Amino acid sequence: MRIQPIWVGRVIAIVAAALLVIYPMVSDDIYYQNMIILSLVFAVGASGLNIISGFAGYVSLGQGAFIGLGGYTIGVLAGKMPDTNPWLWVPLAGVVASAVALVLGFVSLRSRGPSFVIITVAFLFLVQVIAINWVSLTNGTAGLTLPLPTWDRDIINWPFYYVLLGILAVQVLLTWWIRRTKLGMGLIAIREDETKAATIGINLPIEKIIAFMASAFMVGMAGAVYGYYLTFIDPRGMFSILISVQLVLSMLIGGKGTLWGPVVGAFLIEWLNEMANNDWGGGNARLFLFGGLLVGVVIFLPQGVLPAVQSALEWSRTRGKAGLVGARIGTGGSLASITDRVQLVDRAELPDRPILEVKNLRKHFGGVKAVDGASFAVPEGSITGLIGPNGSGKTTIFNLIDDTIRADAGEIWLDGKRIDGRPSWDRAHAGLGRTFQITRLFREMTVLENVVAVQRSFSIGQLGRIAVSGAEARAAEELLEYVGMRAFRDQKAHALSYGQQKLVELAQILMLDPKVILLDEPAGGINPVLIERMSEMIRELNSYGKTFLLVEHNMPFVLGLCDPIHVLARGRTMATGTPDEIQRDPAVIDAYLGDDFVVEEKVEA
Amino acid sequence: MTELLQTLVLGLLLGGVYALAASGLTLIFGVMRVINIAHGAYVILGAFVTYWLWDTLGIDPLLAIVITTPVVFAVGWVTYKVAVSPIRSAPMSSTVLLTFGLALVLEGVMGEVWGNNSTAIRPSYADESFTVGGLFLPKAQVYGGLIAVVVLVALWLLLTKSWLGRAIRAAATNPASAQLVGIRVASVAALVFGIGIAAAGAAGAITGVLYPFVPGSHYQWIARLLAIVVLGGLGSLNGAVLGALMFGLAETLTATYWSPAWATAVPYAIVFAVLLIRPQGLLGTRLREDAVAA
Repeated sequence: MRIQPIWVGRVIAIVAAALLVIYPMVSDDIYYQNMIILSLVFAVGASGLNIISGFAGYVSLGQGAFIGLGGYTIGVLAGKMPDTNPWLWVPLAGVVASAVALVLGFVSLRSRGPSFVIITVAFLFLVQVIAINWVSLTNGTAGLTLPLPTWDRDIINWPFYYVLLGILAVQVLLTWWIRRTKLGMGLIAIREDETKAATIGINLPIEKIIAFMASAFMVGMAGAVYGYYLTFIDPRGMFSILISVQLVLSMLIGGKGTLWGPVVGAFLIEWLNEMANNDWGGGNARLFLFGGLLVGVVIFLPQGVLPAVQSALEWSRTRGKAGLVGARIGTGGSLASITDRVQLVDRAELPDRPILEVKNLRKHFGGVKAVDGASFAVPEGSITGLIGPNGSGKTTIFNLIDDTIRADAGEIWLDGKRIDGRPSWDRAHAGLGRTFQITRLFREMTVLENVVAVQRSFSIGQLGRIAVSGAEARAAEELLEYVGMRAFRDQKAHALSYGQQKLVELAQILMLDPKVILLDEPAGGINPVLIERMSEMIRELNSYGKTFLLVEHNMPFVLGLCDPIHVLARGRTMATGTPDEIQRDPAVIDAYLGDDFVVEEKVEA
Repeated sequence: MTELLQTLVLGLLLGGVYALAASGLTLIFGVMRVINIAHGAYVILGAFVTYWLWDTLGIDPLLAIVITTPVVFAVGWVTYKVAVSPIRSAPMSSTVLLTFGLALVLEGVMGEVWGNNSTAIRPSYADESFTVGGLFLPKAQVYGGLIAVVVLVALWLLLTKSWLGRAIRAAATNPASAQLVGIRVASVAALVFGIGIAAAGAAGAITGVLYPFVPGSHYQWIARLLAIVVLGGLGSLNGAVLGALMFGLAETLTATYWSPAWATAVPYAIVFAVLLIRPQGLLGTRLREDAVAA
């Protein structure tokens, strides 16, 4: 029987945990106990950092501030209230760290990428300057002394050691849990493509703020224990940028976005740190070590040790043979045969009203009037077409409708409610789903994860629901079966072909269960068999009451499928009508179709 | 009144030196989209090289700029070839981490070579002043400010009036097309990185004469320089000059009329506020990685 790699990993983790638990009981070597205690503090810090940097993609060089804040919380309170047991302040330190992390969370709403990294550095130094100058609270550069431990000298390190081990255990569990939930899926989606994440219903501000608070809570607690353990804290030590560098390095070397990578990295880096301090002369050697490692890791090992080991094992197992990629796409069959959650609707029962309507929509890019007063309606239960020459503003209108770009002026009505002015995720919750002309799947997520990342509505409770297994995963698999991509569920999205990505993106949008589906060139760049299948699926979904608005240049496809059709030119609707009317409209022929346009007659069997 | 006037003049002279250092940072960002966190370390490197020339060979520190600048240019060029060019296609956040690592390495190297004690370059005129209409203007500051302006003008001429400058701008706007019309984009990038670093080195030579320094001073410098270029708008040379003059004035005014303790917080607060409220700064374009491909 073959042993699954995941079990090898679990056995290693359990053995390592057991060794850590029994170590102080079998050895009273203070040097190594000290090293492990520091490693545990950094492991908690790096693992917390992993939530915002590894999952959500916001790289922070300010993470060390939360260790410092934890230390200062216990330092200040233990000084002001000497009669209270200092351990009581440890959870409070977590709260303080989380509260300050809220500030960084708000920052992440306005800035990302490199400017966010710079802000986090500025944030760390600002906290340090405050700690230096707020002398009445922090005693300035002179620092604070904490009460000495009162317990038995023989087990002097035990409480610090085991409390930190417990905090690390909770931190790892928290990370593991987040990775499996809707929240975690949302965060990874934010890392991969933030704008797209918003269009599938992910509430960016709330998710990011929760992530920032979650990334700091346990770290603040670990910082408090660390401060108590040191018995002396000062601003230069507690808010040193090198602590943050050590945390980032730990995460990067171990493997960002993985569960154990930051922990493994933290132990490795702290061991090197001790060597640099004791054997290589400290000071400048530490700078060489950290600086050199940072440069080396970014250049040579951007994905980290654990993922590198994993992919090497994977390669030796498959001998480099490709997986399923390139296999034939399944035939799918009808959605009704796969799930009982859809029902045919009687077209006569549908109210005769527009379900989506844009009025006088405008968007100018400098002098370019991309959309210049476009107005049209999409009747409920219809498959409406939007055609026009390249540059006539079709895709821009899609972008305005789902708020990928904010409109300058005009109204957008969905299902009787005005939605312009509302953010993307709100529009998705109101019943809007949209695919992109150039597919925008989350590249590093698997096919299944891409589909379960979708959030149909928003509530805090829903964020905690498990996404990668259970009901959510089953629903996603049904949709993948429908589009014929179920066999690919565990492939990374970037490994798929363009046509396959289109199908997965359709399944992703269907997971939103939208009332109106906007398809941007569903037949573009895929083979004729797939085009046929695509129109079959659109028809079937339409028979369950889904309304479609599609942009497409393939005229037989549009004319065979859509009614009504809107024709766009120079950012305005120039004609509206049935396929027959559009084909005969002299203005449309002049502006778009051309004099020699003849639709091939379909050969009826 | 005299005090205010004197503060303003000194602030502008200091701003000129800042402008020189910041122009290199903004140039590197504008052309290759790399935020060089090690820039402050190269400023300090320029100061240490100048110190060495002055201390061992007895060369006047401000005249030594003609030696310091090419030396630091060479260091920058090598840095680019060894460390920066392998990750040109990586996300911008990676280059931030990489150059941060470079800054730490440089700090360690300078600490090994020159020690971590405060170093000062004190030429014969260090304590002399010009007296102009009741204003006391330290000679070192006046010379330093003027040299900075001269180097800055030379840099500006190089970038706007020469073939090299056009090649640089072409490579910045569209590397693929620049390659097609015969510009060696890789060489241009290395050259730009070297020039940007050399500007930092020249500024370092001047400030080495004005203030004492340690290897760790680079943190202060990068904070200041980031504040300046972020204020002016990343990638904009005019913005960097404007930001530097404003910053120089603000710093001297704060030091004269307010507590210097909290003054260290000013650059961080500026970075924080500007990136949040107006991410494109005064004269720059928006710094975004996720710009929508419409």
